[in-house]
Order: sequence, then structure tokens, then C-alpha cells
Amino acid sequence: MNIHTYEKVWLAASMVLIVGFIATITYGAVGPGVSMISDDGGSIDPSEINDDERFEETGVTHVGGNEYEVAVLAQAWSYSPDEIEVPAGSEVTFYVTSPDVTHSFSVVGTNVNTMVVPGQVSEMTVEFDEPGEYGILCNEYCGEYHHTMEGTLSVVPEDEFDLTELSVEAPGEVESGNETTINATVSDGMQTDLETTATLEIGGEQYDEDVTIDGAGSESVEFAVDADQLGEGDHDWTVTVDGEEESGTLSVVDGANDDSGDSDGGDDDA
Amino acid sequence: MRVSKGALLVGIVLLVPFVIELRTALSWFGIEITVVESALVGLALAVAITAWALWPPNEDGEAADRS
Amino acid sequence: MRNAYVDQFPAEARVVKSAFWSSFLALAIGGIFGLVQALHRTDVLRFIDSTDYYTVLTAHGVLLAITFTIFFLVGIFTWAVTTSLDRGVVDIRFTWSWYVMMVTGTVLVAVAIFSGFLEEPPSILGSELYADVLFTFYSPLQAHPIFYIGLVLFVVGTWLAGFDWFRTWWAWRDENADERIPLPTFMVLTTTLFWYICTLGVALSILAFLLPWSLGIVDSVNPLLTRTLFWYFGHAVVYFWLMPTYVMWYIMLPKLSGGKLFSDPLARVVFVLFLLLSTPLGIHHQYLDPGIAEGYKFIAMTNTMFLLLPSLLTAFTVVASMEHGARQRGGEGYLGWLTALPWRDPVFTGMALAGLMFAAAGFSGMINAGMNINYLVHNTWWVVGHFHLTVGTAVALTFMAAAYWFIPQVTGKELWSRSVALGQVLLWFVGMTFMSNAMHRSGLFGMPRRTAEPQYQNFDFEPAVGTVAEMDAQVALGAVLLVVSLVLFLLNMVLTSFNGTSDSIPDNTYAGTLSGPEDAPEILDNLKLWTAIAVVLVIFAYTLPLASIVESGGLFGPGIDGRQLSLGADLEPALETLREVVA
Ligand code: HEM
Ligand SMILES: [Cu+2]
Ligand SMILES: [Cu+2]
Repeated sequence: MNIHTYEKVWLAASMVLIVGFIATITYGAVGPGVSMISDDGGSIDPSEINDDERFEETGVTHVGGNEYEVAVLAQAWSYSPDEIEVPAGSEVTFYVTSPDVTHSFSVVGTNVNTMVVPGQVSEMTVEFDEPGEYGILCNEYCGEYHHTMEGTLSVVPEDEFDLTELSVEAPGEVESGNETTINATVSDGMQTDLETTATLEIGGEQYDEDVTIDGAGSESVEFAVDADQLGEGDHDWTVTVDGEEESGTLSVVDGANDDSGDSDGGDDDA
Repeated sequence: MRVSKGALLVGIVLLVPFVIELRTALSWFGIEITVVESALVGLALAVAITAWALWPPNEDGEAADRS
Repeated sequence: MRNAYVDQFPAEARVVKSAFWSSFLALAIGGIFGLVQALHRTDVLRFIDSTDYYTVLTAHGVLLAITFTIFFLVGIFTWAVTTSLDRGVVDIRFTWSWYVMMVTGTVLVAVAIFSGFLEEPPSILGSELYADVLFTFYSPLQAHPIFYIGLVLFVVGTWLAGFDWFRTWWAWRDENADERIPLPTFMVLTTTLFWYICTLGVALSILAFLLPWSLGIVDSVNPLLTRTLFWYFGHAVVYFWLMPTYVMWYIMLPKLSGGKLFSDPLARVVFVLFLLLSTPLGIHHQYLDPGIAEGYKFIAMTNTMFLLLPSLLTAFTVVASMEHGARQRGGEGYLGWLTALPWRDPVFTGMALAGLMFAAAGFSGMINAGMNINYLVHNTWWVVGHFHLTVGTAVALTFMAAAYWFIPQVTGKELWSRSVALGQVLLWFVGMTFMSNAMHRSGLFGMPRRTAEPQYQNFDFEPAVGTVAEMDAQVALGAVLLVVSLVLFLLNMVLTSFNGTSDSIPDNTYAGTLSGPEDAPEILDNLKLWTAIAVVLVIFAYTLPLASIVESGGLFGPGIDGRQLSLGADLEPALETLREVVA
């Protein structure tokens, strides 16, 4: 075959270019810090997502050290959870799946971007070095309201991050002359021990109790409340731990007309 | 005419992508210009090219103008 | 004596003309929808409901990427085969039958899509018409069966067209046993061969899975499997659009420049490479898909990079041929020859500008192909910017420019206005520069594609340079210019068809070659050999990924129902309230 010299030069240059591309991409792909989606996430039956160990409760869990896992459900037309918070300096593995049609889970302006195909779990590991705020959006058409599917991802400074949860049990009513207790259960979602302080505010007073919780455990804190000290009437209370907060109202009633028992006076707004 | 009318027109059209990318390119050097400024630069370039093509008036210029 | 195509092959000219007009019609509707989308997304002008946006987008994708391109292709290919073999098709009734089949398929698909605009779409075959599934029709989104049936008819129509070209070539071969396959026919045949290979994927996906599922015969699909089968076809289809464009660049551009094609052998090599490599790399559209191991993605990436080779060779040959032409016309100097090209000729200029934009598209395409960088841009507007340079300009603008030559050839009528035509191709270039540039840049900061209202409640996009509003305005401006250009094109076509026949139509010829087929080794013409290798490559690239997808998700998936995700009109206010509460 008769090939012109220029053609030969061009051909050689083209091959060098192509091999060069493949080499750079290969380097970039096996080099550190870049996560790609593969079949590691495994498959899942979309109709049984609610019974799945990982997806029955979505959200952030601590694995240990600086490693976290986030289980996300992408569905028409929202994410569960739609607000994700992780600490800076962490290595986060996302697991995303869909119970209905194909979506994406795309953290805006980053290469954290995956298709979410029903029947498959997308797994990707990302390192978040610096604090920052990101949007999350679905970039695969998933029905009429596809454009409303969004969420946020906050990477918060390490010392502002915790996975502490609080739940409070308190009576709704107490008779004057009696004492009662407000019980706070504090659980630590981190694998590490937690030392913190639970605070109750009621009737203008503040009571602090120190608690120490084992990693992945929970502890109860009991606040004794004296009805006489509060006096008759409604008293708002608030329990706070690590920025988690729960509040309610305790009514102190006249001992004579005793018509109701204990009830949970807390209303959750953690 | 140094070039045919067709070539001049194509030359001006080919400026468009460069002018549009100018803002991005300049920003790499820390120079920020506005949309209006880049449009003005584009206009100036188009005028310059036209002037170059028409000037100096070339008697046998029409010879180059065959298509 | 006039010797245009219509004089040589009057019967074939009618089919070619019909195919062109079908493609123009699709272009007209699709193009206007493109403007609607651009204005809606950027919030410049919204006159449809956002929920109807996806109906518009489905129509735009199908009508332009499938209908417009492929109808034009069958026209060009029929012309190329008959002209280069210098004989008509074997049986013109057969030719008409595949054309009619393609039209029927298109009409069915269009009916299904356009029913999306109705408040209450009629029911046929026991279910409501529906096809808001975009041109990729990923399951479990489920379209009405006639959408799938229409697609099948259309594709089978193209299969028959391919058979028609082969048959014509066989008939010619019987009379010209020792001759090399003429270059244009060679190009058509190699393209047809990879079209057969790649459409098997989508045919399988529809006939074995999606159609029975939409008819209720089977009650589940494996979404990853049908998606992978789609992309098995989906990449090769982009080369299917591109090949008639390459045919034009190889055999028309050199002639229009006033010279000859630089090298016939290299052109054959290029088309053989496309036959070999077009299909076994579809997985590069699935870099972000779960359920496909990284190794398979890597193989697709490597194949993709090698597929750069034929395009790089084409760039060389086309530019070299143009330079040769320019020098024949008296061009001089290193770059000075450029001014000697026939820039006043809309056919030449349109094709040359299309080629230039294709080069630009090559750069953004390499980003897309980069397995890791792709994560940044996948499904963003970057990609839309990219393919409006490839199919939306390299292909579409070449076709429009070619039409200025072809329509006189197949009608015997002179073009209404060459100046308007020149303005039209230049305007397309400018409009697309504006639109595509802003789309690319928007993609870099994460602006998603396929989204009616990319304005979000809880976060803002952060462009590196400029503002979102400026980029939106740039897209809208570009879209307006494009549609003006489109209208000028259609006007020219319509007014041309009102012209009387003319005697001054140029002869139906194509470019000669500087280095002819005698320089090309015989083995290049061995289509059986290349097809066999192509099939083997496909088997290598696809057997294992498909097997693992079927193994993990089952052939028919784990009970995945069809979804037509829309709310009834009465539910919409409820959703709005819900959103307000949540937000
Ligand atoms: C009149 C000129 C055109 C305009 C104004 C236009 C505009 C647009 C816009 C704004 C989108 C993005 C929609 C979105 O991501 O939400 C789009 C998508 C698209 N366009 Fe165009 N376009 C034009 C011409 C073309 C041509 C000539 C072709 C092909 C030959 C084409 C093929 C496509 C395809 C395949 C899509 C993707 C559809 C999808 O995502 O499903 N367009 N167009
Ligand atoms: Cu979506
Ligand atoms: Cu591709």
C-alpha cells in the first residue's frame, strides 16, 4: 500500500497521542483518591429495600476511625435522607439504590456522581478533606417532576460533627408537692466513646449532668424535678446534648384534683 | 480586496468562538472582563479584519474572488 | 445535455428526494422544539408546563437523532451506491417498501410521543398512549407498546435498505467481477455491516424484553440489562450518523475545493476501522453505572481511544485534499492557500465549518472518554454541548450544506438562493458556537442535562467565570440564531421546490483520487473478513459484562414493574403543598 510520508508521520503521531491518552487515564484511574463505580455494591431486589439491613434506615453511620457509611435511597422525586452531614477529614462510602426508576446521585460540581439503577447498589468512596456545602441533584430523567429532586451535603469541621442522638421521656403533669424525673437517653452513633454534658432547662434554672457513653452505646440521664420549686402552672423545659435538643411542657397541678397520670410531654424536634 | 467576500465573511464568523472563549481564557491570567467588553473586543477585531481585507484597495483583487 | 442524478436515475431520485423531505420535516419540528427547550430551561420564556418539557425533549431527541439523521443517511447512501456503481437499484419497488416501512415506524413512534401533550391520551391495545421516556427509553420507565413497535419497524426498514444496497452491489459484481468496489459503495457497505451488528442489541432489547413487558406478557425487566443493550447500539449509532458525513467529506469536499481526494486506500482503512471498532465500546456511556466491573469499563475506554485513529486520519486526509484543491485554484503559501478555497459556495463552506466544529467536539469528546474525568461531566450540560457539535453540527450542518447540492440533483431545479444558503450555514456556526460553548461551561459547574427547571431550592451553581444568568442568556441567544438559520434552510428548500426545472444543474459526479484503489491492498475489500473480526471483537467486549449483569440481576430482573411516573392533574397541587412544607 502506497502511503505518503506525511501520512506516515501523522499516523505515528496519532498513535503516540492515543497511547498517551490511555496511559494518563490509566494512571488517573489507578492513582489514589479517585473512586469509580463498579459492581462492588452488589445487587438488590427493589421490592425488598425496606427489609434490607443497609437501607431499612438510611443516613450516616460511623464505621470506625475516620470512616463513615451513608445509605441513600433515590426515589421519585426525592432523596432519603435529603440532608447529609459528614465531618471533614473523613472517608465516606456512599451506598445508593432506587426502588423505582433510574436516577442519579450527583454532588454538584464534584466527581461524586453515579447512576442509580434499580436492582443495583452504587457504591463509591470519597474523601472529604475540607469543610464545605454542596448541592445534590438527580441528573437522570426519572419522570414528570425529575427537576425537583435535590438534596444537600454538608462537610462540617471535624469538631462540630457528632452522631449523638437524644430522646427524652418526661411526664406531662405533676402534682404540687411531688417530685418527678425527666429522663434523657443519649446515644452515641460513633464507634468512639463520648464524654459530654446533658443540660436541662426548666423554670429559669439550668441543671447539668456529665455523661460518658461507650462507642455505639447509649446512656440514660435522670433529672429530678421538684414540683414545689416550680410552682403551679405550665413550665417549658428543654434538654440539650451536643446540639441535639428536645423540649416539652410540664404542668404542675393542684394535688387535689388528680385526674390524669403520666404522659410523655416531650415533643420531638431534634 | 485581499481576500474574497466569502472568505472575509467566514473569517469574521471564525472570530466568534475565540471572542467567546476570551473571557474564560483571560480569567486564567487573573483578568476579568465583562460580556460587553468582550463584545467590544469582538467588534474591534471584526473591523480590523475587514479593514485589512479591504485595504489597500487592490486592483486585481477580484481575481481572487472566484467561487 | 444535462446529466444530473435525476437524469441518470429518475426512479431512484424520487426515493432519495422523499427520504430527504422526511428528514427535513423531522428537522423542522425537532429544531423548533430545541428552541422551546432552550428558552424553558434557562427561564427566558416558559410557555409549556415543566411536566410537558419531557414530552418535548423526547420528541426532540427522537426526531433529530433518529429520524432526521437516518432518513438523510438512506438518501445519501442510495445516491452513493447507484452513482458509484453506475447502475440503478435491483428493484425499485423494494426500495420504496423500506422507505414506507421507515415512515410507518416513525409515524407510530410520533403518535406515541405526541400523545404526551394531550390531557387524556386515548387508549390503544388496552393501555393509554404514553412515551415520555426520552430517546434512550431506559426501563423501568415504560412506553406504550406502539412506541417500541414503531422503533422496530423503523430499524427493520433500515435493515432492508442495507440489503437493498448490498443487492445492488452484488448485481454490479456479477458484471464487474475483477473490479475494486468503488469507494462510495465501499463506505456504504462497511457502514451497513456495523449497523447490522449494533442494531442487534437494540432489537434484542426491544423484542425480547421491553415489548413483551409493555404488553404485559412478562412482568419484569432487568433495567441494567436493557440499558447495556441500548448502549451496545447507542455508541455505534453515533458513527452511523457520522458515516454519511464522512462520505460527504471524503468524496464531495475535495471536489468542491477544486481538487481530488488525497488517498483512496487510507479512506478504505478508515472505514474498515469504523466497522471493527464502532460497537465494542458502548460501555463508555456507562462509566457511572453500578453492576459493571471496572475492568470492562477500562476495555471500553481503550477501544474508544483507538477509535480516535480513523477520525484523526480523516482530519488529515480531508485537510490535505482541501489544500490540494486550493493549490489547484492558485492558492499559495503555508496558510495562504486557505483564502483560495471557494468560501462563497454554501456547500463547501457549510461542510468545512462542520468539520471544524467536529474538531472542537473531538476535544470535549476526549474528556468524555476519559474514564475518570467523565465523572465530573457525565449527564451534565457539557455532554449536550458536546453532541450538538457532533451530531448537531458536524452531521446536521454537513447534511444541510449537502442538501444545497443534492436537492438540485434529485429535482433538476436550481437552488432558490445561494447567498441565503451561505448566510444560513454561517449563522448555524455562530448560533452553535454560542449555545454549545455555554452548555459546555455550564456542565463544568454541574448544570444537569434533561431537566426542565435546573434552578434548585437549596443550593446555587458556582460558575468559575461569569454568572449562571449570563450563560443562560448565551444559550438562549444561540438557540434563537440556530432556529433562524433553520428557518432560512427550510425556506430555501421549499422555494427551490417551487422553481421550474433548470438546465444548468451540474453533472452528478464525485471527487476523483490522487492515489487510487490500485494502491489499496485487495484484502481491504474483503468484507467477510472484517465482519468476522468485528463480531469477534464484540464477543470479547460484551460476553462477560452481559453474563455478569444477567447473573446478578436475572434475565428479566427481580419483579420490576413498568413505571410511567406522572401525577394525575388532581394530585399536582397536593405535591406542591408537600414541597412547600418540606422546603
Ligand atoms: C435548532 C437547533 C437546536 C436547538 C436550539 C437545540 C436545543 C437543545 C437543548 C436545549 C437540549 C437540552 C435539553 C436538556 O438537556 O434538557 C437539546 C438536547 C438534544 N438535542 Fe438539540 N438542539 C438543536 C438541534 C439539534 C440537532 C440538529 C440535533 C441532532 C441532529 C439535536 C440533538 C439533540 C439530542 C439527541 C438531545 C438530547 C436529548 C435527550 O437528552 O434525551 N439537537 N437540544
Ligand atoms: Cu431524576
Ligand atoms: Cu459513545
